[in-house]
Amino acid sequence: MSGKGLVDAERRRFNRLALAPSLIVLFVIAGLPAIYLVVASLTPFQLVNPGSSTDFSAPLRNYRLLPDDPRFVNSLWVQAKLSFWGVLFQVLLGMLLALLLHTQSRVVEFARTFFLIPMVLPPIVVAIIWKLIYTPDISPLYYAAGLLNIAMPSLTSSVDFALTAIIIADTWEWMPFTFLMVLAALQTIPDEFSEAALVDGANRLQIFFYITLPFITPILVISGMFRLIDSVKAFPLVFLLTGGGPGSVTEVTNYYAYLLAFDFNEIGYSSAVTIVMLLLVVAVSLGVVWMGRRREAME
Amino acid sequence: MTKENSSHKSAGFSRRTLLQAGAATVGAAAFPMPVIAQTKPFAGVTLRGASFQHRFFTLLQNYIPEFEAQTGMKVDLQLSAFPVYNQQANLELSSGGSAFDFVNVTFILAARWVAAGLLANLDEFTGDPNLTPAEWKPKDFVEGAQVPYRDAKGATYGYSWEGGAMVMGLSRMDLMEKKGLKIPKTFAELQEVCAAINGTDGVTGLVSFQLHHWCLPPYIQGFGGNIFRNPPADIMPALNSPEAIQAIEFYANLLKNYAPKGVLTYTEDQARQALLTGRSNIFIHSSAWITPILLSNESKVKDTSRVVRMPAGPVRDFPAANSQGLGIPKNAKNKKAAWEFIKWALSPEISMRLVKEHGHSSVCRKSVIESEEYRRLNTVNGQDLGALYLEVLGLPAKGENYMAYRTVKEFPIVGDVLNKAFEQVATGQLAAPAAMNAAQEQAVANMRRAGTAL
Amino acid sequence: MSGGMSGGISGPIRRSASVRRLVAIGVTLITLLSPFLWLLQMSFKSNDLILQFPPPLIFTPTLQNYASLWQGAFPASFLNSLMSASFSTALALILGVPAAYALSRWAGRGKHALSFAILVTRMAPPIAFTIPFFLFYRWIGLLDTVTGLVLVYTSFNLPLVIWMMQPFFETVPSSLEEAALVDGASTRIVFLEIVLPMVTPGIAATAILCFLYAWNDFFFALILTRSNARTAPVAVVNFMNYEGWEWGKIAAGGSLVMAPVLIFSLAVRRYLVSGLTAGAVKG
Repeated sequence: MSGKGLVDAERRRFNRLALAPSLIVLFVIAGLPAIYLVVASLTPFQLVNPGSSTDFSAPLRNYRLLPDDPRFVNSLWVQAKLSFWGVLFQVLLGMLLALLLHTQSRVVEFARTFFLIPMVLPPIVVAIIWKLIYTPDISPLYYAAGLLNIAMPSLTSSVDFALTAIIIADTWEWMPFTFLMVLAALQTIPDEFSEAALVDGANRLQIFFYITLPFITPILVISGMFRLIDSVKAFPLVFLLTGGGPGSVTEVTNYYAYLLAFDFNEIGYSSAVTIVMLLLVVAVSLGVVWMGRRREAME
Repeated sequence: MTKENSSHKSAGFSRRTLLQAGAATVGAAAFPMPVIAQTKPFAGVTLRGASFQHRFFTLLQNYIPEFEAQTGMKVDLQLSAFPVYNQQANLELSSGGSAFDFVNVTFILAARWVAAGLLANLDEFTGDPNLTPAEWKPKDFVEGAQVPYRDAKGATYGYSWEGGAMVMGLSRMDLMEKKGLKIPKTFAELQEVCAAINGTDGVTGLVSFQLHHWCLPPYIQGFGGNIFRNPPADIMPALNSPEAIQAIEFYANLLKNYAPKGVLTYTEDQARQALLTGRSNIFIHSSAWITPILLSNESKVKDTSRVVRMPAGPVRDFPAANSQGLGIPKNAKNKKAAWEFIKWALSPEISMRLVKEHGHSSVCRKSVIESEEYRRLNTVNGQDLGALYLEVLGLPAKGENYMAYRTVKEFPIVGDVLNKAFEQVATGQLAAPAAMNAAQEQAVANMRRAGTAL
Repeated sequence: MSGGMSGGISGPIRRSASVRRLVAIGVTLITLLSPFLWLLQMSFKSNDLILQFPPPLIFTPTLQNYASLWQGAFPASFLNSLMSASFSTALALILGVPAAYALSRWAGRGKHALSFAILVTRMAPPIAFTIPFFLFYRWIGLLDTVTGLVLVYTSFNLPLVIWMMQPFFETVPSSLEEAALVDGASTRIVFLEIVLPMVTPGIAATAILCFLYAWNDFFFALILTRSNARTAPVAVVNFMNYEGWEWGKIAAGGSLVMAPVLIFSLAVRRYLVSGLTAGAVKG
């Protein structure tokens, strides 16, 4: 057995050598900044106030100010709304699209790639595309509304519709993600189940609800959670379409933190807002990992 | 790793040579050269400057090759979109950077930068006869345009290249005459005229744009209020005074009922377009954005336009005046070279050339504005635009300095709160009193959080 | 099993596509892509045409917008995007692929914790890193440099590589390695000559994703660059002028920025699909 022992030792050494550089790099470029972020959130650090970066006299000051900051609380609500509706529609529409394309055909397989376009576009280009659609002067949407005599307000400067406008753009952009995942899952469902059910006289709807849906539900949940985590990063759409407005109706937490840090230069306070966001992301990520491990255990 | 490339510079090189040849022939022959030393004192220096995209710089770039030829330095002027530039410059200066030798001091940030000591004191340059000859005349700059660049002790940290005198432009005098309307002189009349014109011929009564913290103060002050209680001494915000609330309601009403759809997200350019094409009748903004209806080739309303003073409020008549200026960051590496550039770009000679060769009239030198040439070029249909411009720019210096709120370094914070609150009122989310009370609380809280003692 | 059943949304039964379904798919594709197509067609219109309604769907296209883009800083920004995306992808792969292999073969404790930490770095919003990076780069002089961007992009591409390559390595049966190791080969040789060739599709997919994410980045480039290292996405936004919303140019700029990504993705679509789903599903 000593031969195997040597091999094992050599393997372990190799593994360590293979892993080490990545871990070091990750620690330096991801770990250290994260630590710095926590430290900064304990100070009233403002760029124009150099002394404030090491002022630890009231470490929890920022965190205590957060719940009383109506703009912060509002941003959490806006984020929740954006994430909820966005993810819901992305999952639903992605699933419907996957069902539509779930068929044996070279043509369809070729066409499938084109459905991915919104997802691979640079997000800022997606924002530009929708800016063009939402600008009354040059948008076919408004022209059509004019023809039909519908008085359509400028969506991105309307209190009621600004967030909806962003949700629509966001859904358009990310629906291909769920579509892709559900389609892959659909293609793993064994044909025998549905064939047997058809022979037994089940109709399409029943097949969908009793066979398809249970199969793809875990994928729906997982892709929903991935999208949920990513939805916190929403920035280009808000930046270009509404600037957080009108008022603060589309000001998501990420955007508010950006304004705090880079317009008002309140680094300390912005770090505290970011930490809260990170905690939320971590919580959802834990959920994803837990679900993944549960599935592994079941398989 | 690889270094940043300069392919865009090489692409411009041939253009530069061409321009250089052209400018040298025209410029040197026809106009007197600004007074600069004969030898090339700055050979080998690369001067880095930044600003936002504006016609002034586009035009200036035509002349820069001459400057480079005289001084031997290379000028690397980086222009960005307005919000992008402001954020980057603010970040750069706030963190004590030395990436730029000269910068545009945007009006919304001027007070903050001056008060925080982020800019170099230019009196050291203007006071030194070796660096600045007497003919350059620092006092020639219009007073109203220079106010934002002075600190409490009167030292100067920037010189203005653009004066923003708030005037009112009317593009459809034909419609007004048809309806028997006179040019409004008070807020009440303004509302009447907007209401009467709105919808006629597809024209909206009024157009405006998204920087509410610039458009609103004249109304607030017109009704007797102010942004702060008594700036610069007492900087407690006064956003929820009855006068402020009245002003918000008034202006929100105008935008809600008589302005184009989506006006709340309009940029200045979109608003100007609406005016130039006659799709909106009234636009109240800095003269540089209004006078094109009379002077620009793009204007479709030259014959039906008037440019006049904006209407007066019931209590006060305080049209806003702002400016954009050039300054030198505290930690700039090439301060002397930067001053050389600023001196040249804002010299009487260059200012005059901009007026004569390109019709760019929002310069800030009194001597240029009051000259015959300027008067000739800027009097259209009997309207002396130069006189109007000077009149408004000089108002804050006569009597009460009502633009003092602009010199409070916390103004950006309060301005931002005001913006958001106004949008809430204009979109019907909140009634004006509720919105302004909340805004007042927010402004105070934000200022305290930023370290101001109130 | 009859192949004639057709129409609408079906169940899991795979059958040859009926005409009705193909038509439905075609219509859906055009509808979904219409915003994107609108941008494309606008880039070929002059500004006057753009403001014209009803919008002429048949018009003489002009390359004026694209031509005017090519003078100025746009080509430079393209180069910056290309360099920062390629170098960060290369760096992430060099560091991450061996690390993913090591992780997949790890039998010890802490593996899950490590995987989770890596996932979080991938999932964190950019602003979490921008503040510290901005301050640090200011201090060290890496602001507005391609090097600075490469480092930042590696910070999210490296976790992506590790996260995505792990499942691929897990599909390589360890029996192959055992056999070779017992025969006396070093782990290094086993890794390079046996395991690696088997996961090439995974590496290709991951490389493309890394390039895509780096190219598409907007936030980091917005904050960490001025004009020397400005990337294409930020340059496009710069057209949103203080004076002049040049719609044609904006549309052309947007089209140019997305062109490389589109071409890339379409060319390697097979890997793209498996890469995206393998990473996400297995995760």
